[in-house]
Amino acid sequence: MATNGSSATVAQRLQKELMDLMLSPNPGLTAFPSDSNLLHWTATIEGPADTPYASLTFKLTFEFASTYPYTAPTVLFKTPIFHPNVDFSGRICLDILKEKWSAVYNVGSVLLSLQSLLGEPNNSSPLNGQAAELWDNDPEEFKRLVLARHKTPEELDAEAL
Amino acid sequence: MDHRSRVFASVFAVPSLSHTTPTPIATPDLGYTALGQSFGSPFVANATGQHRAVKRNLAWSTATRFLSLPKSSNSGGVSFEIRQGLKTADVEEALRYLITGDGKTEDGNEESLLDWYTSEARLHFATAVRPILEHLWEKEIKLSSTWSVLEETQQILQHAQDLYMQSFNDHLIPVIQQLDGSVPTIRRSKSAISPSESANRKFRRDLHAVFAHSLPSQRLSKTLSYVLYDAGCAMFRLFIRQHEVQIGPPPEDPTAIRERMITVLDSLERVGLGGDTAQKAFAHAMDRLMDTFINSHYLKVDWYSQKSTVPHLRMWIKDGFCPFVELVLASLKSDTWRIQPTELQQWQDMALGRLGKARVETLFDFVIKWPKSMGAIQDIKEYLKLLNAKNNLTTAFRQQVARRLLHPGATTTWILNVYISIIHVFQTLEPKGVQLERVARPIRNYLKEREDTGRIIISSLLTDSNDRTKFGAGGELSYEIASEMQKPFANFNQEEDEELNWGDMNWQPAPTDASPDFKKSKVEDVIWFLLTLWDREEFINELKNILGDHLLKAADPEFEKEIRLLELIKVRLGDDKLQACEVMLRDVLDSKRINASIRASGNSPQPQGLQLPRTPDGVPKTPESYRLAKPSKAQLLPPSTPDSKPLQGPTLNAQILSSFFWPSLRDDEFRVPAEIEALQKDYESRFERIKGMRKLRWMNALGDGSVTLDFEDRTETFDKVFPWQVSVVYAFQPKPGEEWAAGKGKGKGKSNQAVTRNVQQLEEMLEMDEQLIRQALSFWVGKSVLREVSTDTYSVIENKSSAPSDSAAAAAAEELAEVQAQEQGAVRSQADVLLEKKDIYQSFIMGMLTAQGNIPVMRILMMMRMLVVGGFPFGEEEVKMLLEEMETEGKVIGMGGDVWGIKKA
Repeated sequence: MATNGSSATVAQRLQKELMDLMLSPNPGLTAFPSDSNLLHWTATIEGPADTPYASLTFKLTFEFASTYPYTAPTVLFKTPIFHPNVDFSGRICLDILKEKWSAVYNVGSVLLSLQSLLGEPNNSSPLNGQAAELWDNDPEEFKRLVLARHKTPEELDAEAL
Repeated sequence: MDHRSRVFASVFAVPSLSHTTPTPIATPDLGYTALGQSFGSPFVANATGQHRAVKRNLAWSTATRFLSLPKSSNSGGVSFEIRQGLKTADVEEALRYLITGDGKTEDGNEESLLDWYTSEARLHFATAVRPILEHLWEKEIKLSSTWSVLEETQQILQHAQDLYMQSFNDHLIPVIQQLDGSVPTIRRSKSAISPSESANRKFRRDLHAVFAHSLPSQRLSKTLSYVLYDAGCAMFRLFIRQHEVQIGPPPEDPTAIRERMITVLDSLERVGLGGDTAQKAFAHAMDRLMDTFINSHYLKVDWYSQKSTVPHLRMWIKDGFCPFVELVLASLKSDTWRIQPTELQQWQDMALGRLGKARVETLFDFVIKWPKSMGAIQDIKEYLKLLNAKNNLTTAFRQQVARRLLHPGATTTWILNVYISIIHVFQTLEPKGVQLERVARPIRNYLKEREDTGRIIISSLLTDSNDRTKFGAGGELSYEIASEMQKPFANFNQEEDEELNWGDMNWQPAPTDASPDFKKSKVEDVIWFLLTLWDREEFINELKNILGDHLLKAADPEFEKEIRLLELIKVRLGDDKLQACEVMLRDVLDSKRINASIRASGNSPQPQGLQLPRTPDGVPKTPESYRLAKPSKAQLLPPSTPDSKPLQGPTLNAQILSSFFWPSLRDDEFRVPAEIEALQKDYESRFERIKGMRKLRWMNALGDGSVTLDFEDRTETFDKVFPWQVSVVYAFQPKPGEEWAAGKGKGKGKSNQAVTRNVQQLEEMLEMDEQLIRQALSFWVGKSVLREVSTDTYSVIENKSSAPSDSAAAAAAEELAEVQAQEQGAVRSQADVLLEKKDIYQSFIMGMLTAQGNIPVMRILMMMRMLVVGGFPFGEEEVKMLLEEMETEGKVIGMGGDVWGIKKA
């Protein structure tokens, strides 16, 4: 009963979040359930202008636990990204997804934080040391590597097939 | 055998003729000499044998010559005449010697005389009789000649048999009978079969076998079967006629037929064509006879007294069919010709089964003709008692329903009416409702898919069934439903006593064939079936919308029907979910009270009654509606405003509605006439005094009003006009500065110069939607109040006689106004909702396509239904509409096959 009850509330909460996202969409961000299971979402972030990621689109996945919103969702980059705080399998080092998670955050706020993380990496605790170093010292090379690593959603889809 | 061949045969043995040759074929066999014995010695052991053989041969010759059957000299004709010579003493002696004496066959080596005679008869038959029969039977027998062919055959065979039997009986039997005496008495008393008897039987049996083989058995059996069937038909005309008025003499005398049949049967039996074959043929005949009877006019559906024909059928089986069978079986000398009671029962069931199947095949027609088809339904009810009948019923009927009812050509109203008939019919058939549940499931599913089902049901429930005019053939209202509503409440509290009610003659055991999810409902009247078509939630939403619309339009100040409907639904669906509906109903009832108390407290300067010509008891109608809102718990009310002349001043009544509980209502904003506005203010302040802190928000679009218009040459009163129509026509009152047109201050204008307004002016004056203004204008043009003097400019027709040419334009406008008026409901339509929420839905679709790639419409619809908070009350069509719109905006792209995706930049 307890699990049923909690998953019902998770679904309700997620449905409401979805409704809010639909009612007031953020530019450059989308999020939607991946299938009929509300606990898996797919999101996209457009790289902010004036950053090496400008005009690139990144795909992410959200996995919500049945304890959501009291535990953070698991967020992964699906599009390969060259970024100091993201490792090569897409795992993200971001405080609000870890110890600083709070139930007041939601999908929208997580996406906004991630979008800003693209422009302002936290180089003090990098997951990708090379990226952290190049970000500070060689923006040209950084940008080159970002573009080399990036794949468009179409390429991703093609790979998935 | 002719003379020549006989001479020939006497010299040379002709094996094929040997048995018919009366004389010994060769010299007597003198036996042979055993080894070591002298040849020809008279003392050899077999001397006696030799002697016997010679003697036997002599006797054989004499006897066979005497017994040989006449042969026709030419192959063409046949003679059955007995041409035997005199039975001399020699012959007698020879016969006795061969049959009972020493010449009797001992060990089967020798041919016995009886065997010979049998062969003789067989040969005679083959050469003389058989060709005739073959000629008779070689072709298919025509129905018209069955009787004669059969009779002729039987006669020929009878003659042949007589011929063969005569010699047999005259000459052989007496000899054999002498043996009878020698049989020990013990055996005789026991089995009682004497040698003569057994010889007789054997001979007959052989003969009959020959007869039977000479005829094509299948054709014979068919012919016999037809003859019996024909006889049966002819006879039962008599049988039935005994109970009816005889109309003229029957074409054939049934008694004669009966006699003829018995004769044929008896004689067929005599020549050995009875027996198993005949019984089989008879069985076929009876099978057909039963079918014929069931399809005959005697078992037509009883449309007049509407009774079952089953008792009639049972009686026929018992008093007609069975005696007939017994008669035939007796004629065929069957051992078991008497019908057992169990067989009778079986046959009755069989007949009932066939009748039932025939009835079930046309059950759909009976359903449509219900309740006149009660007779047929009663038949089927009897039929259902049989094994397997229920399955047949449901399968057959479901097919009929699928073919004839559930297709796009049938209107929802018609389907509902038929469904009601089906409910009635099946409740008669089987009160437990198991079969009903089975056959109704496809219909219910189908009805659920039709969009207008709910609306039709609820509006029909709210319509007065006495008002026949509303139920046109193509109409949206179902008279059946409305009249169901009129029926008294079923007694809902009976069922707990059901099992203990020992006096209940209609009691039936609990159904054993119900599907697992079958649940006998407590209440089983038609309305219950209709109300349970949907989930409760869906239904209640629908009900709210329709009830809301209805309550606002209702003419009955007591809301009796509405209260009753609500009670009815509460009984069926439980009261918990119907809170909103109750609030709605209470709102309109309370409004009446509040109106009265406000009026009393206000000491309204105008006398009320004069303003309300059509509400004699002083209860006001509800001309204009306004919503009043409080932050959390709001009420909305349409006030009533008999809006009339400035002299007397209008009155106002309001419907106060709790906006939280009502469905979303039309809320067009526009300015009402100043006098009304003043009344609204006044009403509002009084209301707030009575109701404390509650606030009113006026909904000007709802309600209706009465206006009286004074023209120069006439005064006209209009009842039940919409508020915006009132406002528009009021706008033609002279404005300040237009007094030149105001005449005496209460008319609409001066004789020479009527007040003129154009659409744009009206829009500014009334702050009203242009569309609504145009609607109102065409309404008034239709009523010959206004006239379009130039494009978009209208003026008052002060003097009707001066503008005779307007009538055509007025008629056209009136038509237009009517069409438009039909589109105006108090409750917002789904299309409006779709339009309003289009943006949200479209962003849902965008998000979905972005996250999930290209997906088909069905899946989009499914996700929408699941994900949109508050539900997505639309179907595939609407989703496609949304997608197509987005496609034109360049957001998405159709991939073909209903699959859609994001359009790549």
